[in-house]
Amino acid sequence: MSGVDLVAAGSVPQPVIAQVTAIEASLFVFVVLTAIVTALARDVLAAVIVFGAYSLGMAALYTFYRAPDVAMTEAAISAGVTTILLLLTLAKTTRIDHEVAFESVNLPAAGAAGLLFVGLLLTTAEIPAVGDPDAPAWSNVDVTQWYIAETYAETGVENAVMAVLAAFRGFDTFGEAVVVFAAGIAVLVVLRREVFA
Amino acid sequence: MSFVETTVVAGYTVSDFLLAAAAGFVVLAVGMLYRAVKGPTMQDRVLAVNVLGTNTVVILAMLGAALSEPTFLDIALIYALLNFLMAVAISKFTVERGGVL
Repeated sequence: MSGVDLVAAGSVPQPVIAQVTAIEASLFVFVVLTAIVTALARDVLAAVIVFGAYSLGMAALYTFYRAPDVAMTEAAISAGVTTILLLLTLAKTTRIDHEVAFESVNLPAAGAAGLLFVGLLLTTAEIPAVGDPDAPAWSNVDVTQWYIAETYAETGVENAVMAVLAAFRGFDTFGEAVVVFAAGIAVLVVLRREVFA
Repeated sequence: MSFVETTVVAGYTVSDFLLAAAAGFVVLAVGMLYRAVKGPTMQDRVLAVNVLGTNTVVILAMLGAALSEPTFLDIALIYALLNFLMAVAISKFTVERGGVL
């Protein structure tokens, strides 16, 4: 099976373009608005709440771009865990009442952020299109085909992605698990608890 | 041919109508955002984010039906659960400071 065949077999049905752009455009407006409000809101609790709304919009956007796994992570981590952790931090510290609702914009900082945005935007032209047979992953057909053909014989894991995560780069995953474990311990220390309950 | 591909009127399919409705709900989300930003009280913001979450669940369900992607419903379910959790956490925070969990 050649790379082009694999791409064709795995391609998703292309949605109707006109409606797609309408949803995309309104989601972009929503996400950008929430991001700006989160950055500029003077009241921390308001910023936390609007940040929750931001992650709702991001998850909808990820889902729309057919990345449901990323959307689930965004939903669970950003909307759920992060909001709770930020609220816990607020509860442990103080919240000052402000008279003005929004911070004034720091122009040099906004300019630097704008430059970074433009710089990142310029790199997007180099990203291969979805299903492009000339993309780096497909131009090295020997490597990708080796993983597809030999994964089960080498590791005994049926899912190739899972095999890469748990076997081929097992130590890397182990390091990630250590980081997550350390973060869990740190949360328990901050909460002054001994178990998650 | 699945149900969403059936033509309703003037060549537009059920899928088209679902996508258009989803776009309408996204536009409504911007309106809900106004309440979340403006406040004035924290209860307004909590309610606004709660409605936003329910709105997101509806949008995801519509997209899942229109694009024939049943897995979108899983994400919608996660959101329905987390939305409730967020509303309870923020409400508890505003009522009894310090008690989030």
